[in-house]
This record gives sequence, C-alpha cells and structure tokens, in this order.
Amino acid sequence: MNKITSVEAFGEFRRRVLTDASTEAAKPCLVICAGTGGQASGSNDVMRIIKRQIVDRNLQEKISLRVTGCQGFCEMDPFIVVEPGNHLYPKINMKDVARIIDSALAGEVVEELLYREKNICKIHYSQEEIPFFKKQTRTILGKNKKIDPIRIMDYIEAGGYASFDKIMSPPDPDWIIEEVVNSGLRGRGGAGFPTGTKWALARKAGKKSTQTYLICNADEGDPGAYMDRSLLEGNPHAIIEGMIIAAVAMGAKKGFVYVRSEYPLAIKHVLIAIRQAHQLGLLGENILGTGLDFDIDIFRGAGAFVCGEETALIRSIEGRTGEPRQRPPYPIEKGLWGKPTCINNVETLANIPVIITKGSEEFKKVGIPGNTGTKIFSLVGKITNTGLVEVPLGMKIKEVVYDIGGGPIGKTKIKAIQTGGPSGGCIPARLFDLSIDYDSLAKAGTIMGSGGMIVMDENTCMVDIAKYFMKFLKAESCGKCFPCRKGTQRMYEILDDITKGKGTLEQLDLLEELALAVRDTSMCGLGQGAPNPVLSTLRYFREEYVEHIQNKRCPAGVCKDLVGAPCQDACPLGTEAWRYIAHIQRGEYEEAYRVIREPNPFPSVCARVCSHPCEQRCRAGTSGGEAIAIRSLKRFITDRADPVQYQALHAVPTSPEAKKVAIVGAGPAGLTAAHYLSQKDYRVEIYEADDRPGGMLLSGIPAYRLPRDVLQKEIDSLLDGNISLKCNTELGRDLSIDSLFDDGFEAVYLAMGAHKSRKMSIENEEAQGVIPGIKFLKAFNLGGVELGRGQVGVVGGGNSALDAARVAIRQRDVESVTVYYRRTRQEMPAYEEEIEAALEEGVKIETLTTPTRIIAEDGRLVSMECVRNQLGEIDGSGRRRPVPVAGSELTIALDTLIVAISEEPDTAALSAMGVKVNKGSRVEADLMTGSTSRLGVFAGGDVVTGPNTVVEAIAAGKKTALMIDRYLRGGELHQPAEIHLPEVLLAPVESGADQDAGAARVRQPSMAVTARKHNFDEVENSLSAEDASREAGRCLRCDLEFARAHADLTCPGCASGDAS
Amino acid sequence: MIRLEINGLPVSVEEGSTILEAAKFLGFPIPTLCHMEGLSPYGACRLCVVEIGEGDRAKLVSSCTYPAEEGLKVRTASSRVLRARRMVLELLLATCPQSKVIQDLAAQHAIRQQRFKQEHEDCIQCGLCVRMCEEQMMAKAIGFRGRGEDRSIGTPFDIKSDECRTCGGCMYVCPACQLRCTYNEPDKAICGGCANIAVPCVEKDPFDDMMCFMDPCVACEIQKD
Repeated sequence: MNKITSVEAFGEFRRRVLTDASTEAAKPCLVICAGTGGQASGSNDVMRIIKRQIVDRNLQEKISLRVTGCQGFCEMDPFIVVEPGNHLYPKINMKDVARIIDSALAGEVVEELLYREKNICKIHYSQEEIPFFKKQTRTILGKNKKIDPIRIMDYIEAGGYASFDKIMSPPDPDWIIEEVVNSGLRGRGGAGFPTGTKWALARKAGKKSTQTYLICNADEGDPGAYMDRSLLEGNPHAIIEGMIIAAVAMGAKKGFVYVRSEYPLAIKHVLIAIRQAHQLGLLGENILGTGLDFDIDIFRGAGAFVCGEETALIRSIEGRTGEPRQRPPYPIEKGLWGKPTCINNVETLANIPVIITKGSEEFKKVGIPGNTGTKIFSLVGKITNTGLVEVPLGMKIKEVVYDIGGGPIGKTKIKAIQTGGPSGGCIPARLFDLSIDYDSLAKAGTIMGSGGMIVMDENTCMVDIAKYFMKFLKAESCGKCFPCRKGTQRMYEILDDITKGKGTLEQLDLLEELALAVRDTSMCGLGQGAPNPVLSTLRYFREEYVEHIQNKRCPAGVCKDLVGAPCQDACPLGTEAWRYIAHIQRGEYEEAYRVIREPNPFPSVCARVCSHPCEQRCRAGTSGGEAIAIRSLKRFITDRADPVQYQALHAVPTSPEAKKVAIVGAGPAGLTAAHYLSQKDYRVEIYEADDRPGGMLLSGIPAYRLPRDVLQKEIDSLLDGNISLKCNTELGRDLSIDSLFDDGFEAVYLAMGAHKSRKMSIENEEAQGVIPGIKFLKAFNLGGVELGRGQVGVVGGGNSALDAARVAIRQRDVESVTVYYRRTRQEMPAYEEEIEAALEEGVKIETLTTPTRIIAEDGRLVSMECVRNQLGEIDGSGRRRPVPVAGSELTIALDTLIVAISEEPDTAALSAMGVKVNKGSRVEADLMTGSTSRLGVFAGGDVVTGPNTVVEAIAAGKKTALMIDRYLRGGELHQPAEIHLPEVLLAPVESGADQDAGAARVRQPSMAVTARKHNFDEVENSLSAEDASREAGRCLRCDLEFARAHADLTCPGCASGDAS
Repeated sequence: MIRLEINGLPVSVEEGSTILEAAKFLGFPIPTLCHMEGLSPYGACRLCVVEIGEGDRAKLVSSCTYPAEEGLKVRTASSRVLRARRMVLELLLATCPQSKVIQDLAAQHAIRQQRFKQEHEDCIQCGLCVRMCEEQMMAKAIGFRGRGEDRSIGTPFDIKSDECRTCGGCMYVCPACQLRCTYNEPDKAICGGCANIAVPCVEKDPFDDMMCFMDPCVACEIQKD
C-alpha cells in the first residue's frame, strides 16, 4: 500500500475499492466468528479444518473464508455463517465442516445443522430471521460480520473511512462538533455525558494550550462485560476513524487507546490497524496532505478496575499509581500531563463515523429523544441466548430479556437483571417494562454503565450477589479515600455475616446507613457507585435479607453456611436426603429407612408422589448435569421396609392427665400432626368428613400413582392408641369449634384441605356432564363411580387436571381424553413426568386454548366453545400472558367436561366460629406458627395455602404439632430459627473402578403403556439394587464439607481417619 | 476575588482558594484529618465534606480540594453533611480506636460508640506522612503500596530506605501513628525516633548510627546519668 497524500486521491482510492468489491465474482463465503469468545469455544480448530479442506480440495477459487471478530451470538459459538443466504450453523462439530462446504458450493443448506429455536424447534434459514438477531439494531456490531479485522480493505469495502470526504475537505471542526451535538450522542462509558458538549469544551480548552490529548477508554473491567473488547477485536478501524474525527474536531495531535493487557487479541488487532492506517497515510504527520497531524499509541493497562475512572486512567498513563484525584479540575481542562484531555469510551468513538457518514439527523431516528442511537449490552447469566446485543435506546428490558435473550433456561423464572457492572444495581422482573435509557435506569436505582446485563433467576441469591460485587469492589477500590476503602470492607463484612446467618436486623439498618454515606462521601465514581448493589437489592429484595437474618434461610439455596446440603435445605421436612443416599451406597438399607422415616411419617407416599424439591436444588443438576433421582432412591428403600416395623418413635399410652387436642381433617397434615402430638403425650381425636382417612392422598391421587394398600398401611402405622378417628363428621354440620372446646379439647387444628373445585365462571357451567375435577376424582377414588364417558375434555394444566385425565382414560365408557390449557406446555404447572405419562397413555393436550362458553341441550353438555390464544406480553409472573386471537373461536363436541383449573378450601362455616378467612376462602394463619385469629385454634395445609404439595402439607402438620405443644405448655411460639447443617459423617464408598462422573441419571422403571392403560395397577416400579447403588454413587455428597468440619469440631483426630 | 456564600454568609476569597480556606476565614469549623497547611491537598479522609448545589443536584464534595467558585453556595453543617461525617468518624473509630485525634473528633460529633466489628489498625492512610516525606523533607522514602484492602504505607519492599534521613517528620504529622514505631525491627524502622523513649535504642547495635530527632533525648539523658 502506498501512502496517499491528498483527500481527493483517497476518495478515488476508496471508490475504486468499492467498485472492485461489487464487480468481483460472487462466490460463497464461510464467515467464522473468531473473537476471543469464539476462539475459546473452538473456532480455531474449525478454521483450521476449513483451511485444510480448501487447500486439499483446491477450492481457493470457488469458496472463500472470512475470519471475523465477535459477532455477538456467543451462546452458539463456534458457528459459521454461509454467504450468500446468511445460513447460520451453530455449535459446529468439526466433522460437519466438509458437509457445510459441499452444500455451500452447491448453493444448498444442510437443514439438520441449521439453527433451531429452543422449545419450538423451528428452523431458521437465515441469520436475520433468528429471534436473537431479529429484534436488534446492529449499527455498530453488524459490521463485525463483514470485516476481517486485520484487513483495512475489508473495512473500506464495508463503507469505512467514508467520513473523510466530509471532515477533511476542508477540515471544519465546528461543523463536526455541531453534528455530534445535534446527534444527541451520550457517552457510552456509562455516565452519559453528551459527547458533543465534551468535544466543544475540549476544543475551547485546547485553544489555550499547546497540546490536547484524546484518549480512548478501553479499560473494560466489569465482570461479564465484553462489548469494548469485541469492538476493538472485530472492527478496530471504526475506533481509529472515530478517533481521527474527534482529533480533527478538537485539534488533538496525540491519541491513546488505553486497553488492558488482558485483551491480547484486541491489542494485536488495534496495532495492526494503526500500522495499516499509517501506511495509507490516514494517521501520522500531514494526514492526506491536509496539514493535520494525529497519531495514536496503545497504552496497556495492568488491569486495575479503578483505571477506568478518567483521572486514575490519566495518572496511569503518566506512569503513576492509578488512583483518582478529586475533580475539579476536570481532565477536559487539566488532564494528561496537565494538558486538556478528552476521554471517550470505545463504543462512543465507534458511533462517531456513523454520525458523520450518515448525518446526525439519520442517527437521531434511532432511539428516543434524549437517548439517541443504539447501545451494546453483553447479555449474560441465567439466560438462553448469552451474547452481545445491540438495541436502540428506549427498548424495554423485557424485550431484551425475553425476545432477544430467549428467556430463562428451563422452567425457572427470571428474578432480576443487574446492569452497569459492580457499581450498578438490580432491577426486579416486575419492572421489566422499564425502558433502557440513562435516565430511567438511574431512577430505578441502577446505572447504564458500560453495558453489562447479568440475568438472574430464582436460583440466584440477591444477598450473595451483593456480597459478590462488594468483594470485587473492596479488592478493586484504589484505597485512597477512606469511606470507599473501609466502607466497602465493612459492607462486605456485614453481608458476609448475613449470608452466614450471623446478621441482625440492626446490622441491616447499619448497612443501609453506611451504603448511603459511602455513596455521598466517596471521591470518585467507583466509591459513589459501590453501594449500588447493596442499595438496589435492599430496595427490591429486602425480604430476602430479612429471610436470611430472621429465619436463617437462603430462599435461593445459595448461601452455603445456611443451606448446608441443598437437598436437605430444599425439603420442607428437612429430610437428610444426602444421608440416606450415602446409606444406600454403603448398602445399609435399614439405616436409610430410619433416616427417611424420622422426619416424615409418610415415606412411602412421598416416595411416589412428592414434588421432590430436593431434586430441583440438587447440585448435580444445577451445576450442569442431571439431578440425582432422589425420589426413586427413596422408593427403593421404602419398598424394602414395612412401616409397621418402625416402632422407634411410637409413643407409650398417654398418662391420665394428658391434654386433649382435636384435629379436623385426616389428610396428610392432620394425620402428621396427630402422629407427632401423640408422641408428645397428647390425646388426639381426628374428625374426617369423608368415610375414610387419607384426605387428598386418597381422594385426589389415583391408585396407579399411589396404590391403596401402600397408603392404608402407612396410615395404619400412624394411628396408635393415643389417636382416635371419627369419620363422616364434618365441621359446621356435626360439630363446631365451640363444641370442641366445650368437650374439653384445649387446642384445635384445622386441616381440612382444599376440596372445592374452582369454577370457570362461564355460561352453562351447571349443565349435566360438566363435572368439577375434585368431584370426578372423589367419585372414582372413594366410591368407584365412573363419571366419564365418550369424548372427555379436561380444562386445566395442573396435577389434578392431569390426574383427572389419566383416570378418565382408564374408564370404560371413555373414548378419548383431551386436556385444554390456556398457556403452552412449558408453562404447565403439572409435573413433567405426569405430562409425559399422560401423553404416552393417549391423552391429548391442546395448549393455548381457553373455554369461553359451554353449549348445553336440554340441560346436558353437548359441546364447548373455545378460543385460541397466542402468547403476548410478559405478565407479573414472568410468563407470557395468553392473549385470545380474534376469530379463532372453535367448538368442540364433548360428552364430559372436567373442570380442574384449581381448588379452594370449603371454609364457609368458619367465619361464624371466630376464625378469619381471606378472600380466596383460605384460613388466615401465621405462616410461622400456624395460629389463627382465634386463640387455641391452629390451621395448616391446603386450607391455609390453597392447593399445594403433599410434602408441604406434611411439613405444616409437623410444625403445628410443635406449635400446639408449645402453646399448651405455655411457651413462646416464635423461637429463633436454627440452621441445620449436615452433622453426621458417613464416609463415601470408594468404588474400585473409576467413577464415571458423567454417568446418566437412572430412569425409574415403569409398566408398559399397553399393560397399564386399562387398569389402576401402579405404573412406576422400584429400582433394582444395582441401579440404586449406582445412582447413589452419583451423589456429589455436598454434606461432607459440613459433616467433616462438624466431626473435626466434636472429635478431632478420630473422624478424619475414617473419612479419608 | 471570588465571591461565594457559606452557610448564607457572603465571603470573598482569592482565586485558587479552596472552600476550606474560605470557611476558615469566616470561622466555620470543618474537621479535617488528611489536610495540613504546607502539604498539597489530598482529599482522602472525606471528613471535610460540605454540601454544594441545590435540589437534586446537591452533592457532597471535599472542601479541602474544591476550589471556590463564583456564586457557589456552600453548606458546611447541613444534616446531610453531618450524617455523612458521623458515619466516616464511626468508620474511623472502628478502625483506629486508639488514636487520640480520632477519639476527640468523635467526641466532638457526639459519637459515643461504633457499631462495626472493632479493629485495631495503626494507620488510616491519610497520606500525611507520605506527603510530608515528599514535599517538605524532599526524601520520598515512603509511599503507598497495594490497592484496596491491601493498601499500606511503607518503603519499597519493606527494606530500610537509603533516602530516609530518619527525620521523624512522618511521625510528627501522623494522627494515628503507631505504624512507624518498629524499633524492635530495626531493619524496617523508618525513623527510629520512637526507639529513643526506651532503653533498647541504646542497647542494640543497629540503632547506633540512627539519627535522633528527639531533643533532648530521654534515653540518652538517662544514659548520661
């Protein structure tokens, strides 16, 4: 390349390059993303194979390869885009490269390798169609795809350096500044100072000085943010062009790119780009013969976070310790070596060529007034599509998170996003309607920052997040000013205490007070922003802090010192799952049963129908693999033990002076409470409205999931001599709370459950053939009456809807069963395995359908009118709201319609008895103690919570037994919470063979569909001993850390030998 | 001259003066720790914060570094200032409770207790000693090392500095000083002055050639007798 010495010659050169490019024979091109992220995912290997293929097969003339910087879709790295057509092949496997080359040569696509949208498996043929790209406005980032960053010609071909026509002939600084001011561009480094204004100030200050400096701030240090790196790596000439324009505008002769040493590829590409610009005469002395001098140097920072602050950055370039000084004077007046210095962020400078080339009016059309243009965010964390996204300012957060980001991973719910890096704050999901602009974010308590956007779901603890950022900040604070240095340390100290269960509510107030003081008194932006993670999480998630402090619980299951083993923490009963799993592995089945039985009077029931919250939290699953099949293992043990054998905790007959307690409802909550009260020397009487005990276990859960003999055996084992059971006795009809107290009962426990199906409130719901879900299930489970016939429809998406459907399909007169649900299958609340089983048995599921009317003839159901939905806006629950599609009404002929949308308790009689009932007909009870508005009356289970899981009901019964005991002994109900950490040390079994870390989760054996479809035999079978042992061997044994520490504490020396 | 208003009182000061100087001129007390006349302003202890600006734009700045500006309205003891100052003092007290200077300041601000975990550090890193050494003693023997929580003051690599003339200036200005009293580690001792109050300085060989800034030296006097 020869040096070009006039603006006209450069313009000519540029046009020649552009014409050459457009006339060049179009041949297919493989574009590979090879930024740092791509290379880490293996794009170098893919590249090597492509090159080898091209050389070996002599395809140089037929196909080309373009190695680009980061294109943003990092989740799918390494990927290839084939031009023309922009077919995107994600997560490419090396063996597929040859096929892709072949198809590209033939002008075809390899369909099975193309990008597929998650969940709906829709194939997208071109890159632009992919939802991740579709909603973005990739003004800056989009160029990365067209440019090989080490070729200046690529940049010129993509329209680069076009601004030189405008800014160099002749140079008119005032016009440039006017354009930038008019564009409304604000600093992309985070503070959002208007760039044009800054330049005008720099120009004014520069006139009084011998030298003006321009610095490009590429000291990007936020955890999880990498947009500046991608720009420098992928399109360095855009930054150089922006810097030249800025230099012309403010009369700067010298520019620096301050980039951290951790970005070697960015440094390399910028160095190459600077050299090429020099060769063309675009940089250096007398640029293009205009008499302008401007040169750029790279300054490598050592990686201190604080050096992103402008005064610290300047000191760093000067060769001194990178620490800020108090402004004023601002660098724009007194900066590098005392001279006026203008510091702009990488992304700001990348926007400049766009503004100059296209004109500020065109630029202003993107974004919203006051916040013009686009902003690049690095979308990371618990989200489907991680990567770099460029969106117009003013876009709503939820569009970025759900439409571009693809929403949460799996079935979890997104809880919040964190923007602006460590000095930013969190925004809760309920505020996702917020527009992304400098001012709205500031109002919400966070900052735009350089553009990090970390998505957090339910498994993220907000206290832990605040602690994490505080740890970062206390290490990265320069330490010069006292409140920042000590304040961050002290905030960390308090947060650390809270996550360890040592926090107090006074400390929480102190934390807030301190955070406000640090924000007020710190010298620079780092200190002033440092309290943001604390303040914003306190503002939006204070209840999580309080939960940590008061109940010593971490709701997200993150804080190790409170959680211990996640499985144990997740269990409402506190079952030590790790412990019985360890026993299974050691072959100690009886011990294992004891561990299961001790906290849980219904082990066999829970082994079959528990919602297994333990598995959702299992670290083997949350860390990327598959959770341990804890419930299957429990089943394995309970199948080997007879509940009657477990006598250890059985009470001796009560003493004559034992107090009497009445329990209303013989479901899991009532029976559990009775069991534990009986052990505490109380005489218990249970009143059951149905003719048999069991509650929902019996009437709601079908026999193929929970065999009747198993249930009966377990109930029998609980009913000891201290407990008497009276069936067919209903509260309100046969007795009242007053009558119970009159009869000498000193406490009453209400545990009637929720046995009333909620109505849809549509026309003709009373018609014959329309059956409430519970009525349908009860009729069959208690009385053996088959209510279903012909074409059966079930409305609802929960477990009871699926149970009703599966019962119906087993009934004699039923021809077909279809479940109608208003959202999609992903949002169905029923257990995944239930849905699977139902589908296997032939139940059809129609999603996105809402019934609007029931059509009856002669009072008998004939059909149901429905409307189809589509998914609309995100609602408060973080799910997309189903929106009816106009004109999509359809009529479905039905013989039976089962309405199983939800259940509520039947509490009409209670208000008159002095027990407060809330709007949802649920009893108002203190969640911690179970006490109701009436003294001596307690409530728990579904009657308080609404339809809930079995294990929650058992937990409620167990807790109430404790509370009633405290009440009757005159003790304080509220007592300080305790942390339950694993304490028993069970040495893991060392298997001889290498343990297969990636072994798959065991599948519970089940009966073949043909064999089970027409009867009520149990569907799932027990694991084999071998499988159980293997599955137990997969357990990560989170307990060992705690158990070992505990053992060391209690008995130094002896335990460690056993364990190791 | 620049005219500004402090707590409602107008005052004129020379260009280049700081708010602190202007406030002193009027007699408004502003507590300081890292500030000393004759040393360059540093703005690190943040005790001297005052409130400027109005409404939403009101903010706290360190008065020792902020230049007096025409028309500036300063509040030296607003509730926001006092609240911030008290928290800084509480933090100081939690860090360095044995310092008489800090205790006195805390007492003046009615702080009777601090609510953090008590530490007993011997340095608040106000940087007075570093600036004294560099700007008045022209030695540059000591400086800051490390960052954030690891930041400390000392000589490079903790080796006794050849630049140090053991003048004791660093000790003289220190509001919390215990840091440099390392007489039992003479290799690291910076000034060695404190060693004079005890016998070891005269008993131990390494202290023989140390210059003494104490005049008269108690230990030497004892020795003479």
